Parts: sequence; C-alpha cells; structure tokens
Amino acid sequence: MSKVTRLPIRPKAEAAADSLWVINYFTACGFLELFSWVGSGYDMERFGILPVATPRHADVLIVAGYVTEKAVSRIKRIYDQMPSPKYVMALGSCPMTGGMYWDSYSTIKRIDKYIPVDLWIIGCPPKPENIGKAIVMAREAIKGGFGGH
Amino acid sequence: MATNKFEEIKSVIESKFEDSILGFDIKGGRIMLKVNARASHEVLSLLKDLGFDHLSDVTGIDYIRDGEFEIVYHLWSHARKIRAMLKVRISREAPILKSIADLWPGAQIHERENYELLGIDFEGNPDLSPLFLENWEEIPPLRKDFDTREFVKRKYHDDK
Repeated sequence: MSKVTRLPIRPKAEAAADSLWVINYFTACGFLELFSWVGSGYDMERFGILPVATPRHADVLIVAGYVTEKAVSRIKRIYDQMPSPKYVMALGSCPMTGGMYWDSYSTIKRIDKYIPVDLWIIGCPPKPENIGKAIVMAREAIKGGFGGH
Repeated sequence: MATNKFEEIKSVIESKFEDSILGFDIKGGRIMLKVNARASHEVLSLLKDLGFDHLSDVTGIDYIRDGEFEIVYHLWSHARKIRAMLKVRISREAPILKSIADLWPGAQIHERENYELLGIDFEGNPDLSPLFLENWEEIPPLRKDFDTREFVKRKYHDDK
C-alpha cells in the first residue's frame, strides 16, 4: 500500500490571493493595455485572475478611464453588489486625477472620494508591465493579511 | 448641371416662403438657408418633401453677444446627393422652438440633448428628460455664461 501524502491546508488569505476574480469597469484607453493581460500575451490566468461577468462573483473591481458624474453612481452600485472581502484598483491617471478633463463639468476628479481605492496604477495609460507589477503587489498584500473591505 | 439642382430647390423654397427666408447661399456643395423661427417647421417640412429625407444632426450655438441661440439642422438627400443646412435664430431670453420630432423621429434625441446642454426648449418634443447629466442644479453647462472653471473649482478642487 502506497503512502498517502496529504497537502498542507493553506491559509484562507493565501488561497484567496491565488484566485482573484475581476470585474472591469472600463471607459477609455486603459483597457487596451489590459487586453494583453486578459489575452495570451501576458496571460493573467497564470496568477489565477479571471474576468467575470457579474459583480456578485468578483473580488476585485478595476476602474479604468474617465468616470463621469453619471457613471460614478453605477460604479458605486457595482461596488455595493460585490461580496466582502473586496478590493478596488484604479487604472491610469484618469479616474484619480481627472486627466485632461480636470476642468470638465461632468467628469469626476478622484474616484477615491466615492469608493475606497486600494491600489492606483499610474500611467496614461499604464503599460502592461505596470499592471503585472500591480497584480503581483496585490497578491503579496492579500497574502500578507490585507483584508480589503 | 450641378448648379441647376440647387436652383430648382431655391426657386421652390423662395416661391413658398418669400417673407421667412433671411438668407440663401450655396457654399461648399451645400445649401445654407437662414429662416425665421416661426417658419422653421414649415420650411423643414418642405425640405423633407423635396427629398431631404435624412436628418444628420441638430446643433445649438450660443451667440451670447447677440443675445441669441442658433439652431442648425443638417440635412442630406439620398436622391439628390446634396446637403442642406438650415439655421434658425431665437432669443436667449425665451429660447423656444417648435419640435421637428414629428418629421424626423431621430430629431427627438438631438433636441433632448440641446435642451439639456443649452436649455433650448422644443415645443412638442415627447421627452426632454435629462440625458447625460445627473442631479444638475446649475444653468445648462454649454451656455457661454456658465463658468466651467469656477464650477469645477467649487465642486471638485476645493479640498477640505
């Protein structure tokens, strides 16, 4: 009879960090840079990240691109529908500074005034390598005990 | 040949609306027509009967120094292959114009946008509810006397 080796039971946080499901809210060019992560080029499934269709399945909300006053109420609704623990990433300059619409009457300037933002990937738009670095940082933080919201 | 097709339209319009036409011009292959606000609906109706079956756009311009708004209707005729612009001026104090949503159903949303962003009222439009803005309490934002910079500073940049 062969000996059965039992795998060690992994802590919950570590397991969660290995399967982050992502809901995307994209309005602008930031998503073009994330395409290569969704696709086979950089392949974010290697990190256990999966784009999902509904916020009720998601762990991470990625907000990329300009957010209008009308869109921010929808983003809040998406955020409220996500189960805890949940994490929010802001991608690119636009959702956190207003970008070139800094003096527009209908574009909000800082998304973190409306929902908590855990990670901001700077760039206009950020390169795929920066997004990868952010994903690794997020995984490390969650494994290190960061509980989200 | 090219001018003939313009001349025909010109003579038809001028014979019918002699008093209401403020200007008729052919520029860059398109008809530019200025009419009285009162006659705008009838002239557009006639243009539709003359073959201008496609309404491309309805835009509004704020001529604050003249105290007037200008509404520009962009039309295209598939049969004649020519464009027409119809310009109407209305006063800024009472910006109201007859809706053309009954002629081109597509005009409804253009008028709704003009109502929201410039505050031009279109009489007879079935739905002028807000389209892009939410909880807007200021004057319409594309009016020239709306101070965008001051509004943005007050609303977004005066951090506590």
